[in-house]
Amino acid sequence: MPEIILENVTKRFDKFVAVDDLNIKIEDRGFVTLLGPSGCGKTTTLRMIAGLETPTTGRILIDGQPVYDSSKGINLPPNKRDIGFLFQNYALWPHMTVFENISFGLEMLKWDKTRIRKRVDELLALLRIEQFEKRYPAELSGGQQQRVAIARTLAPSPKVLFMDEPLSNLDAKLRQEMRAELKRLHSDTNSTFVYVTHDQLEAMTLSTRVCLMENGLLQQYDPPLTVYNRPANKFVASFVGNPTMNFIPAKKLSTDGKGLKLSIFDETVHFTRKEAVESCPDNVIIGVRPEFMPIKEKGPIKGKIYSTLPTGMETTVQVMCDGTMLTAVVFGSVDFPIDSAVELDLTGDCLALFDAETGKALAYGSVIFQ
Amino acid sequence: MTQSYQNPEKEPLKYRIKAFFAKPANILLVVFLVTLIILSLIPLITMLSNMFTVHIGTEKKLYRMDVGSFTLKHFQRLFAGDDWSRVNFWTPLLNSFIVACGSGVLGIIVGGTVAWFITRSDLKCKSFISSVFVFPYMMPAWTLALFWTNMFQNSKVGGGNVGMVESVFGICMPEWFVYGIFPMIIVIGLHYSPFAYLLIGGILKNMDATLEESATILKASRWTIIKRITVPIVIPAILSTFLLIFSSGFSSYTVPVFLGSAVKMFTLSTKMRALIQAGYQGQGYIIAFVSIAMGCFILGINQWFTGKRKSFTTVTGKSGQVSLVKLRGANWPISIIMIIFTVFFAIVPLVSFALESVIKQPGNYRFSNMTLDFWIGTEGSTYETGMISGILLNPTMWKALGRQVLLALVVAMIVGTSGMLIGYACVQRRGTKLSQMVESLAFFPYLMPAMSFGTIYLAVATSQSFKFLYGTFGLLVLVASVKFLPFASRSGVNSMLQIAPEIEESAIIFGTPWVKRMTRILFPIQKSSILSGYLLPVMSVMREVALFTLLVPYARYLLTTMLFSFNETGYAQYGSAVTLLIIVVIIIINNLTNKLTGASFDKGIGG
Repeated sequence: MPEIILENVTKRFDKFVAVDDLNIKIEDRGFVTLLGPSGCGKTTTLRMIAGLETPTTGRILIDGQPVYDSSKGINLPPNKRDIGFLFQNYALWPHMTVFENISFGLEMLKWDKTRIRKRVDELLALLRIEQFEKRYPAELSGGQQQRVAIARTLAPSPKVLFMDEPLSNLDAKLRQEMRAELKRLHSDTNSTFVYVTHDQLEAMTLSTRVCLMENGLLQQYDPPLTVYNRPANKFVASFVGNPTMNFIPAKKLSTDGKGLKLSIFDETVHFTRKEAVESCPDNVIIGVRPEFMPIKEKGPIKGKIYSTLPTGMETTVQVMCDGTMLTAVVFGSVDFPIDSAVELDLTGDCLALFDAETGKALAYGSVIFQ
Repeated sequence: MTQSYQNPEKEPLKYRIKAFFAKPANILLVVFLVTLIILSLIPLITMLSNMFTVHIGTEKKLYRMDVGSFTLKHFQRLFAGDDWSRVNFWTPLLNSFIVACGSGVLGIIVGGTVAWFITRSDLKCKSFISSVFVFPYMMPAWTLALFWTNMFQNSKVGGGNVGMVESVFGICMPEWFVYGIFPMIIVIGLHYSPFAYLLIGGILKNMDATLEESATILKASRWTIIKRITVPIVIPAILSTFLLIFSSGFSSYTVPVFLGSAVKMFTLSTKMRALIQAGYQGQGYIIAFVSIAMGCFILGINQWFTGKRKSFTTVTGKSGQVSLVKLRGANWPISIIMIIFTVFFAIVPLVSFALESVIKQPGNYRFSNMTLDFWIGTEGSTYETGMISGILLNPTMWKALGRQVLLALVVAMIVGTSGMLIGYACVQRRGTKLSQMVESLAFFPYLMPAMSFGTIYLAVATSQSFKFLYGTFGLLVLVASVKFLPFASRSGVNSMLQIAPEIEESAIIFGTPWVKRMTRILFPIQKSSILSGYLLPVMSVMREVALFTLLVPYARYLLTTMLFSFNETGYAQYGSAVTLLIIVVIIIINNLTNKLTGASFDKGIGG
């Protein structure tokens, strides 16, 4: 069972800490995405698991076997880790044909010719690139190159497959298509996928678990919907979800058991928490997803339309309320005149309460205007 | 009534010409086109006609024909296949070919190996090795040849002078080791190996590391990766490097002079000069033509090859994350071997020149045998009779140095300015026939070996209509300017290509006149590359021998030709002293270039 465990993994480049004390466990047959803004350490993490980069300290286990252990001086080279790696720029060998690119890994395993032929044919068919067999990478389009790269990676049937932003060089339509194919491939191949991306949508749609990082630090490691609905902090909340979460500054008035009395936009609201929290500072922030902020005839929050951005299926409406910009999403195409007055409400039971100072999530719940 | 608009094709020619010359770039292109045709095609045609005419002196007597009459005898004699033709053409051709091939292979093996260690492994002292290794490339090619003879010449071969190895260790190297093809290959190969190092290293450094990493993950061993991935990807660059070293080796003149003359071994270049000086001009010009044809052929192969799909763009993606190969236990031994090797060929030669220039009796390195007479001796104390005083006190030497520096400066002014203007005009009118013609004409002299180029100018200067040029400083300026134009115009075009057209256009909109646009906007932007366009010809002229050797009025006219006359007449101490002097001047110029522009020979791929 290829399960990957990272224990206290740290990577320093001179004084710069790229990855700081990372602890995660990637389950067998999982599809884990390493998500975060560029420079957060996600690619470094992936390369460390693959063995292309050596951690400074820590321990990495693949399938129960330590592949890196700084205390015991273990450091298996990548070719001993039984993995596949799909690079961002595909890294296809320009001097080899598609067939030669795919068969290379099998040759290294000393497969005989007929077996190689059979396996390559299988992959060519699986990725629908049969007609390009004799072409060179330079003669293929981006999407075709990508398929060849996937075929090359899959050829030796690795138990674990690492992917470093494999879709970022494709156009929007192709990316959509390949996303669906990757998800199918994951269930077809029965292997564990670890996937690096900076695109939160990719992480949300593909993975079984999202590992969100910032500045080398793990922010949250949960299934995508948990990350979406119960973000661990303000950074996670703002990074995941498009349009991004609204942050409404609030002041604590009083506490009563599971509830809180808060003041937002000069209104008093009652915040009902799902679970009890010991303490709550005076300055907090309420995080509301745009879809939980309906525009109504009559609502407790009053504002002016800043701009309307219709996409056809839905419309993003930006509203200025008392100096705070709020974003709401309305289903269908609606066009509000700029500067017209609208009223908003806060609904749903997944509103998040953050500490205004640290950004840490304190509680999740719903509000009632009083 | 107003006239209706006319079809532009029916516009009077007068207006079209006027519109054409309203653009400064067009004026420049036409001027350069005419000048370059005169300066490169006329000499070439003169030379071609000389291949078929009888010359005064030896040829007239031999053929018993009138001077200037048409003949095919030169060809018949040279290609006949009898002993004379074998000695004067086929053997030198074979020698040139072997030397060129050998030095190409050696240069690539040495340069490529060093490049791989520097860019792909965790070798120690990288920056030291890198900067010392490229040093010989900056020195004139003959310095290594001179160093080789200084080291290995011995009482049993050649002129019988005792070299350092014999005098210190008492070992006499065999003749094949000291003179001839073997040392020529070593010297030319090593001289150009930094060039291979810079080219191959540049590619290795920019090559996307993921290409190798993906092979690692597919369980390929380190050696398999080098064999199946790395080498095939750099092969096009290797081949093109090989061809460049090949053509340089083929046309090399100075190295065969040092390493061949003592045992009467000739290559095409040295034979060319020997034939012309012996009065067989016709055959000399034919050899020059063969060399030029060879140059064109090599460049043709190169262009055809690099134009094909086989050249790979490898610069993509996150290539910063190269994981270096760990050499483990072999690290220190390899590093030390590399350091010794580079020091031996880069620094030891300088020491040896210094040493050779102060000993009275060659081969005797005792302190009692040392003197500074060759440097600062006066009339009374000079040891040898070659000169009236040591080189630092000798007016002939200072005049030769002065002329060489003056020549370098004048040529640099002409070449630098022309290169820049050609760059501007060609980029402005890019895609037009006129611009293409000027660009390729400016590059044309690159195909011609320096010796042949000197030869064709000799043909012009000895012809009736251009007699006034013969033996003048102006002729040297002319020949050097045309010969060194290719690099300047290439770098001019490249630097101008980097400037977006909007930058000049926005100035046009303000009504800025052309001269102001050039001096206030375009040149300042590309200041450093333009400055190096001026300074590189200085370096080239300071090292050049082959181009000038046939054209100088007398051997001691320039410092470099003077050096060769010392060598021919056997004043080894003066030769070493002058070589050292030239190297010092070159180092000063290089440092100056470096300070002023940030560009230099050793700013390559770093450590």
